[in-house]
Amino acid sequence: MAYNENILNKSIDPAVHQMLARAETLGLETVWDRYEKMLPECGFGELGVCCRNCNMGPCRISPFEDQGPQKGVCGATADIIVARNLIRMIAGGAAAHSDHGRDLAHTLLLTAQGKSGGYKIKDETKLMALAKEYGIDVNGRSKEDIALALAKNVYAEFGKQEGYVQFTRRAPDKRLAVWQKAGIDPRGIDREIVEIMHRTHIGVDNDPVNLILQGLKASIADGWGGSMIATEISDVLFGTPTPTRSTVNLGVIKADQVNIIVHGHEPVLSEMIMAASNDPDLVSRATAAGAAGINVTGMCCTGNELMMRHGIPIAGNFLQQELAVITGAVEAMIVDVQCIMPSLGDLCECFHTRFISTSPKAKFPGAVHMQFNEEKALEIAKSIVESAVDNFTNRNPAKVFIPDEKTDCMAGFSTEAILAALGGTLDPLLDAIKSGAVKGIAGVVGCNNPKIKHDHGHVALVRELVKNNVLVVTTGCNAIACAKAGLMVPEAANTAGDGLKGVCQSLGVPPVLHMGSCVDISRILTVCAAIANALDVDICDLPVAGAAPEWMSEKAVSIGAYVVSSGIFTVLGTVPPVLGSPLVTNILTHAANDVVGAAFAVETDPIKGAGLMIAHIEKKRQALGL
Amino acid sequence: MSQPKEIFVKTDRCMGCRSCIIACAVAHSESKTLFGAVAQSPGPKNRVYVEWVAPDKKVPIVCRQCEDAPCMYACISGAISRNEKGIVVTDPDKCIGCWTCVMVCPYGVIGRNLETRKAYRCDRCPDRDIPACVSACPTGALVYDTVPAYSGAVRKQVSQALSKAEGE
Amino acid sequence: MTADDSQYMIVGGCAAGMAAAHAIREHDRQGTVTVISEEPCAPYFRPLIPFVISGKNQWEQMALEGCGPYTGSNIFVRTHSRVASVNPAARSVFLQDGTCLGYQKILFATGSRPHMPPDIKGVDASGVFALRTLAHAKAMAQRVEQTRHAVMLGGGLLNLKTAFALLERHLKVTLVVYSPEVLSQLMAPEDALLIRKALENAGLTIKTGVSATGILSDSTGVTGVTLDDGSHLACQMVCIGKGVRPNVDYLENSGIALENGIVTDRYTACNLPDTFAAGDVAITHEPISGAPISTALWTNAVEMGRCAGQNMAGIKTAYTGTFGILNATQVADEPFVSMGVVHTENSDCQVFRQATKTTYRKMVFDADGTRLIGAVFVGDITNAGLYRYVIRERLPVSGFKQQIIDHTLNYGYFMR
Repeated sequence: MAYNENILNKSIDPAVHQMLARAETLGLETVWDRYEKMLPECGFGELGVCCRNCNMGPCRISPFEDQGPQKGVCGATADIIVARNLIRMIAGGAAAHSDHGRDLAHTLLLTAQGKSGGYKIKDETKLMALAKEYGIDVNGRSKEDIALALAKNVYAEFGKQEGYVQFTRRAPDKRLAVWQKAGIDPRGIDREIVEIMHRTHIGVDNDPVNLILQGLKASIADGWGGSMIATEISDVLFGTPTPTRSTVNLGVIKADQVNIIVHGHEPVLSEMIMAASNDPDLVSRATAAGAAGINVTGMCCTGNELMMRHGIPIAGNFLQQELAVITGAVEAMIVDVQCIMPSLGDLCECFHTRFISTSPKAKFPGAVHMQFNEEKALEIAKSIVESAVDNFTNRNPAKVFIPDEKTDCMAGFSTEAILAALGGTLDPLLDAIKSGAVKGIAGVVGCNNPKIKHDHGHVALVRELVKNNVLVVTTGCNAIACAKAGLMVPEAANTAGDGLKGVCQSLGVPPVLHMGSCVDISRILTVCAAIANALDVDICDLPVAGAAPEWMSEKAVSIGAYVVSSGIFTVLGTVPPVLGSPLVTNILTHAANDVVGAAFAVETDPIKGAGLMIAHIEKKRQALGL
Repeated sequence: MSQPKEIFVKTDRCMGCRSCIIACAVAHSESKTLFGAVAQSPGPKNRVYVEWVAPDKKVPIVCRQCEDAPCMYACISGAISRNEKGIVVTDPDKCIGCWTCVMVCPYGVIGRNLETRKAYRCDRCPDRDIPACVSACPTGALVYDTVPAYSGAVRKQVSQALSKAEGE
Repeated sequence: MTADDSQYMIVGGCAAGMAAAHAIREHDRQGTVTVISEEPCAPYFRPLIPFVISGKNQWEQMALEGCGPYTGSNIFVRTHSRVASVNPAARSVFLQDGTCLGYQKILFATGSRPHMPPDIKGVDASGVFALRTLAHAKAMAQRVEQTRHAVMLGGGLLNLKTAFALLERHLKVTLVVYSPEVLSQLMAPEDALLIRKALENAGLTIKTGVSATGILSDSTGVTGVTLDDGSHLACQMVCIGKGVRPNVDYLENSGIALENGIVTDRYTACNLPDTFAAGDVAITHEPISGAPISTALWTNAVEMGRCAGQNMAGIKTAYTGTFGILNATQVADEPFVSMGVVHTENSDCQVFRQATKTTYRKMVFDADGTRLIGAVFVGDITNAGLYRYVIRERLPVSGFKQQIIDHTLNYGYFMR
């Protein structure tokens, strides 16, 4: 079927084309329609020069010197306002990631105390390793006891006032020295976030450089703190991912089964939903209702978590959440936190789909709230799954339209899994980098954004990197985009340059490695730290680069900030709201090099973006004498 | 006689913030205050529009008070006329909501009030010295001036820019 | 020059004639302008006459003088006067009452009259109307008093507006349409679906694909209509809306070139010196194809009348022609605009349609897709005038074709 330009321009994904045509037929509004209605978007917002931090305003600075205010009521210049707004975005993103980490620490604590309803310590090896990292005495203690000690230590990271966040010590010494020199070694996770809110209050920090440094500090507390805690504790509780096969895209929704989509971010909920869906009573209840079974699939990062550990299929990435509902075949859309569109409520009302919110932190219009709590986890998960099963008979077969699009993929490349694939040591990878077979490593991450043709930013950039022998490690919505594009099967090595192709083929891995959800960017940091330590250099000396081709969330701003703070050059595919301040723009794109050894670039063309990354990698190779 | 003033648009200045739209709606509300206007039901109607031109241009568009106003001649009920100040106005009592004016206005600046089924448009804020949209524009993208004064200012600006460029 | 010898003579006191008179007055403050109108009353806004039937307006509220752009002074309107013949060589006109009037320049703006299909029997019965003039409307308004059911023959815009006026008077109204769908002159049947639904929701009964064969009557006037499907509708009023024909009888043997209307050149002039024509009675051209065309639209008549007036006053002005279809209105809360080429069946035009539950649009491009030649908007008529401009000016659409298809074009695209 041929689709009009308007639909074709919105995404590269044929499943999306089919569903957008379907939405059009049904007269349903999607994120793209709302985006178009929003145009033109406000230029002051785009430039980051509006301030609502006090009630003397709202203020906004004219970008034209000869016309309009050049200072806010308090006297803040565009530079100050842009810097304040930027680091408030970092605070939001770091808070989101870290609160996710906190929930994992909480679950570990309850589990260690024997109070959690169904969770177990699944990866003892990791538990021991982490305990060692925290200096916890493990001799003669039960794993629950050790876990309790670890949970208390990890929990304490959030509210810590002095000292440092333990996982930051995973960074190479040279990197730590950089942070300490710049004064951005975080003292605790919450403290740095709170300090951003304090400093950006009216009349506190009005030095753009000082403000941005605090932003970087909080972001490090995210990447090497909150996010890393989320990753590590998830591994302890649910298992460290190992390579696994799965499928991805809306075609994973099954016409003859009860379809449950778990959407959001934290595995605490989705793991239990998955477990409940295997409950024999519920399965037979589904069969009795006429379904062939219960089909749990993931959406966004929750999908990544489940796929990494269990091979559960993913229905799509951020911009596909509404489209999943429009298939008319989803009995329940179960959500926890982050990146869940409030539009789902209205959309679910057009179908039989139950929109079920579970987190006390995240309620939605049109959603049924079935509050989750860790102490009764499995019990609650069962009742949620039951309500989905019971909803099956309400499905209207005439409204079902599932695109026949799904792609095979291989996921589960945790740091440990990569090491295992390499035979237990980084050497084969280091050798490949030294020989030039692999030019370098790129971490490509981030959201979807209707400002960019859906998945085009991700896939075009990654293809270009792979073609140029850059090994790509990915998380989040980029990972899902790459999986859908067929880049995450070992056969995709054929799309790589000869060097990378050979390495992938000999290891039997894809040229694009799925490392997990967006908090799992911490895994990428761990890999980079390990490589830097192996080569006895700083991360900023490595032939590595980062990109967020379709980023949109505050979390992505925090990610970008901690990736750059970690010494990794990062290309942004959508323009951040900072151009209203030439000073801040310059700090981010140039001056940051002098402080943390890396900076941002902004490039909306993914091919050119890849070009910038490749050029950077070449430059670093040269500096290393490779 | 003094020259009539017109609303000019500097397209390179528009930020797309829609301040003009809000100010216009407020100026045409019962209370003439933002908070009152927000509470008014049905809401007041704005008569200036901010359009988006792909890929990145933002353009405020408002009634031009055309010299040869096609809406006025097209109107099938005699509702549109030019008043003593030269402003083209729609008489709501005469308007029958046939939208012929909408069909002939190339600028797309004639609004349709669906509640009353009457056409409405910019009236240049008769109670104000400067139209609300112009006052509200934070970057001077909207300018209220006479034709000679405005084109004079533009000429001056261009020549200043030229001499500055030559000096560099 | 005597009172009976006018510098500018205008035959016809409706849209084209009065627009011309005022255009002349804009350029020539001195010259005598005489308008000869057949109707007994002063010129009025003819499109408003359905409101006389519905009772929404009194006819006095419809007078043209002093409203909108019709504020010119010193225009002499001679009402109740019918021109019987014209002698262009002698520059004189003869009224039916025998009066002879001289002129220097003359405009024929006599408009059109309803077409009465010869195959319908019994059209002379009382209660049968073909709405055209204020007098008709007044008579219809009176007939409503003894009417419970009115049958409208023809599914065009005039009949729809009249039908709504009758609905407002709480009559049962049935629309009998020979075409497969209402408004078949203005759009293709599939374009009219939303409008059809709105009409029916508003309480109108619509029968398509049938036509009347005869009108039955007795001493009380109309009693019913027989249809060609053999059925019979009892009714007390019939309104015939089957198109119009130009009023040119008085020009037979005058030497003025006629071809189902008065032939005009690009400057609204007829074939003989100092003679002009405008409005329904004139044959002009269609801007897209250049083909000869006549229309029966107020807006077109005013535009051409103004142009003719300027030419008569010595300001040589080319008339840009008009689309055969150019209509905007709202029936039953459903606004629509139809313009240019909209009947695309069996043509090689590129057609883009977009339908939602509440809106419909059709954009018609020429065969190679480089120019917009027609458009239909139903429900959402935003920026219709801009699309009319693009069609009429034959603008190449390569820079904004997708915006046209998506209905997101705005004037910003034409600003520097």
